Amino acid sequence: MTYTFSFNDLIFMFQGAVITFLLTIVSGAIGTFLGFMIGWGRSVNNKILYYTLGVYIDVVRTIPLILQFVLFNSFMAIMGYPMSPFISGIITLSLYISGYVSEVITAGIKSVPIVTRKSARGLGMTYMQDFINVVIPIGVKNVLPSWVGLMLGLMKDTSLIAVMGATPPELLRSSQIIINRIHEPIFILLGAGVFYYVMCYSITRLADIYENKEKRKMAEIR
Amino acid sequence: MFDYTFQWRVVWKKFPDLLDGAFLTLELTILSSIIGLIIASVLVVMQKSENKFFRGFTSTWISLARNTPALLQIYMFYFGLGSFGIHLSSYISVLAAITFNNAGYMTEILRGGFASVSRNQYLAAKGIGLNKFHTYFYVIYPQVLRTVFYPMTNQVIWAMMGTSLGIIIGLQELTGMTTFLQSQTFRPFEFYCIAALMYLVIAKFTLLLSFLVGKRFLRI
Repeated sequence: MTYTFSFNDLIFMFQGAVITFLLTIVSGAIGTFLGFMIGWGRSVNNKILYYTLGVYIDVVRTIPLILQFVLFNSFMAIMGYPMSPFISGIITLSLYISGYVSEVITAGIKSVPIVTRKSARGLGMTYMQDFINVVIPIGVKNVLPSWVGLMLGLMKDTSLIAVMGATPPELLRSSQIIINRIHEPIFILLGAGVFYYVMCYSITRLADIYENKEKRKMAEIR
Repeated sequence: MFDYTFQWRVVWKKFPDLLDGAFLTLELTILSSIIGLIIASVLVVMQKSENKFFRGFTSTWISLARNTPALLQIYMFYFGLGSFGIHLSSYISVLAAITFNNAGYMTEILRGGFASVSRNQYLAAKGIGLNKFHTYFYVIYPQVLRTVFYPMTNQVIWAMMGTSLGIIIGLQELTGMTTFLQSQTFRPFEFYCIAALMYLVIAKFTLLLSFLVGKRFLRI
């Protein structure tokens, strides 16, 4: 009996795409939060904080993600807290992306002219008021494109979670399961590629639309 | 809580094998970066051409390389091409996939570099009577090189991290070799630690080298 691609397989792949999307959102949110804190810490005038966090960023950014997955997983097992691959995958992805996000955040904070911040303080704002009402609105606008790029990279990197055998399977893993059954790699892989392409492309488009809107707003103000 | 005894001697005994893996990783990184750079320089020229086919080809390449995971690209070369009766070894498929990926990203970097050179530079070069070759060689390329140098270094490090995906299709580069050795010796944590350290050292060394070259020769 030969197996062919059925409608159920398409649903299976779609579920995989949903898992990929959820993984991206959850680890992206945690990673952005962490990265925000780290980036903020690095932008403060404190040499010790700057270099300790710098070591963390270096480690996270120069070790391949696969190795980080395996290391984290076996580290937790050694410590006596074995975790499900899915959970440890989410944690590793968050830590991984936080290193990249923190660099973007630092750049965003640095992109706000010091004169602007000084005049904000001169108006009687406290440090926090200046940070929330002046730095964040300006910085976010400046770094949004690179942040979106990072999130797209994260979405593509979630495919590596399958290496540890995480269940439920995300998009690439589920397409591999289907390939193992029906032995038609090229079509399934092309299908998975289309899924990824559509997801990445739609996010890029959304970011573009937002950016253009902001630009138009700025032009109107001027 | 922490009843795990580290045994580093096993790692030391297998260290030559690990170095072999590291050399394979380096080899893949360097080859894929060089070939990727060559393809990217062709693509960036094609992107500006009048021919519609060339432009379509380039934009397809870039968007495919950038919008799909590197792992999917490796699968495509290793499993996907099998449908057409083309059976590549894992070495060739990793090399091809990472090169494909690299070329896409590097084209974008180069495009940004060329876009950063102002149009007046071309006009000025023409004005003082340089021909096309001299314009590009003496005026445009040095400026482009300066803007793209650090992004390119980053891309090379990305390529190095990309080659670690070779483990999934059974290539014994640094990660694959580590996995192989740890399954022989049942010492996963030690081996992976050393492998991670090696990646860190290679990446940091590359960055240092590019920093020195940039400072000394390009005066960035």
